Amino acid sequence: MDYSIKETPESWQEGMAKNITFIVTKDCQLACKYCYLVGKNTKERMPWEVARQAIDYILDHEQDFPEESVIWDFIGGEPFLEIDLIDRICDYLKTEMFRRNHHWFDSYRFSFSTNGINYHEEKVQRFIAKNREHLSIGITIDGTERKHDMNRIWKVDGAERGSYADVVRNIPLWLSQFPDAGTKVTISSLDLPYIKESVLHLYALGIKEVNINVVFEDVWQSGDDRLFEDQLMSLADAIIDNDLYRHYACSFFSEDIGKPMDSKTDNGNWCGAGRMLAIDAAGDFYPCTRFAQYSLREKKAIKIGNIHDGINQNRLRPFLTLDRCTQSPQECIDCEMASGCAWCQGENYDAAETSTVYQRATAICKMHKARVRANNYYWNKLFRKLEQMGEERPQSKLTTVKC
Amino acid sequence: MLKYLVIQLDDTSVSFCHYPTADTAPRMISASDLRKGILFAMKENLNIQFVYPQRSLPDEYLSIIDSIDHTKIKPSTADDTSDADIVVIDGMEHAADVAWGSEQIYILRTGRARMQDIIPLIEHIKHIIKRLNIVITDIDTFTQHDFTTYAEVLHKTGEIVEKEYLAGNAVQINLLTDRMMLTSMNNCNAGHETLTLAPDGQFHICPAFYLESPDESCGDPENGVSIRNAQLYRLDHAPICRRCDSYQCRRCVWLNRHTTLEVNTPSHEQCVAAHIEREASRLTLEGIRRIGEFMPDVTIPEIDYNDPFEKHNNW
Ligand code: SF4
Ligand code: SF4
Repeated sequence: MDYSIKETPESWQEGMAKNITFIVTKDCQLACKYCYLVGKNTKERMPWEVARQAIDYILDHEQDFPEESVIWDFIGGEPFLEIDLIDRICDYLKTEMFRRNHHWFDSYRFSFSTNGINYHEEKVQRFIAKNREHLSIGITIDGTERKHDMNRIWKVDGAERGSYADVVRNIPLWLSQFPDAGTKVTISSLDLPYIKESVLHLYALGIKEVNINVVFEDVWQSGDDRLFEDQLMSLADAIIDNDLYRHYACSFFSEDIGKPMDSKTDNGNWCGAGRMLAIDAAGDFYPCTRFAQYSLREKKAIKIGNIHDGINQNRLRPFLTLDRCTQSPQECIDCEMASGCAWCQGENYDAAETSTVYQRATAICKMHKARVRANNYYWNKLFRKLEQMGEERPQSKLTTVKC
Repeated sequence: MLKYLVIQLDDTSVSFCHYPTADTAPRMISASDLRKGILFAMKENLNIQFVYPQRSLPDEYLSIIDSIDHTKIKPSTADDTSDADIVVIDGMEHAADVAWGSEQIYILRTGRARMQDIIPLIEHIKHIIKRLNIVITDIDTFTQHDFTTYAEVLHKTGEIVEKEYLAGNAVQINLLTDRMMLTSMNNCNAGHETLTLAPDGQFHICPAFYLESPDESCGDPENGVSIRNAQLYRLDHAPICRRCDSYQCRRCVWLNRHTTLEVNTPSHEQCVAAHIEREASRLTLEGIRRIGEFMPDVTIPEIDYNDPFEKHNNW
């Protein structure tokens, strides 16, 4: 019998695509309370000339970018604030990839993570219609109105105003264009009591895939792990008791997390920093956007080159040779629940005692362990139910979402 | 584990390594910090290496220094080098003025511009000296052309050394003969086996770290050593180097920080230079072994890369 659990689909060309991010603006209409971008501003908008030179550099050096495919990513701030520039960049990319007979021609995606506020606007919609076959767009919505509006507020003086209503009105349009689209939810300490209601609410809106993770920063209070575990178990009950697992996925629940990891055979790095490339308005290159100055609280930006001098390969070497054990404390290497415990290289760097990417931040340790306990509960309960219904146990599948 | 304490007697003490000798105003370590450093080394069982400036030290300092067994590192331009264990020739231009002998070890600091002069120099001193350490100071900015020259220079030097060994003169030139005698890594190990007490009375990873970032101290003799992320100075935490067998490589953590921003990650240039030395050592060893057995425990296999990083996708 075919099993009936919705799997989180693999992302497009997973592991085979180069991710190249244009930080088109550092401006945003919102001032989300958990936003890690400490240096947002209205001034740093990418000039067209910088974008063009970056593209020329990348396409001129085809041999340095051997990946089969490419994901051209646009982030901000809010990327759709710069829709004219983005449209021009995408047109230029398509023309140039074709003109040069580049191996990425016809194996590319344009990807966006947006707050969804101006999704319905004519210019954005025109852009979507024009590039529909090559687009992936994620709208961030945090859950119920009260949960969303706790954090995702408008950047205005005076009384605080949430943005839920301005985003939710665009969800049907978005889902009609991208029915399989997922949303990303980020959980901080104050959000914990709302996890269950938020995930269920997103399902009710028609979003079938909720990619959710707790923040990596050191924000966790005493008792948060207990609260988290309770929320996840209660969410597990709701998903299983109401058969939601058949059509909806939540990345918190993944069969393969929470196991010990072998220090030799399972020693890869978690995050893709250094295998990606980010470009900012000044034309500087970064191993990932999290290493640009506007993302860093404590440390200096790590630049790996610029549009004029190209990529400094020496600066990439630490990123490309990072492995799990070299950057982890012994406690993590010996951990019985290690698999699925994520880290962000940028946060590791920002939180490290010295200027290094080789010191893993472990602020999420107790939250990961709480997640593993709830996750075990979820699968034990679900498998028992499937068994009792005469359904086969599905093949193990790692559904954790990596950044 | 710490084994050595370098005591930089003055800000302008001669560089024995990759960093340039400071051309700032002289500033001596205080006599009291000097005493504290010696006491610390005695209690921790560390070998002390005093690094001297060109100018002479006051008598008070000389008697403090004399209170402990030690190694003296002096510039060849100092007034008196007769008591030095190690003499540093800070630039090829000073080589002609050196009173070479067999009792001392020599360190020659030179850059790409005078690399070719290494060959006649070794021809000249091969029967006089026991050991010469050569530090190529600008390795981090070498181009492909410089590497080609470096390989040629080492190849020719290797031929000289090979003849000497075959004639029974086991002269040591670090770039060539160290690898011929090593079966495991023998690197600088600053921050792991070696620490520096600087004129500010504080510990630093090495004089280069002190001169570049004087505010980043790692303890002092009274309060002990406190190196943050100390594990990153160890070979087992250096993902490229721990897989490498260019055992003679200096593995300069200061250059690493400069070029890759991480102390545990070498630049492409550092690796290529070390592999050119490794290859020259391999050929020299092969030549020596044509006549008879020499260092039977050592193997230097032929390899198809000159930067271990090239293989990182297979790790
Ligand atoms: S780290 Fe070691 S090799 Fe590099 S300059 Fe300092 S002492 Fe010399
Ligand atoms: S050659 Fe490169 S990898 Fe090998 S020890 Fe030297 S710096 Fe490390």
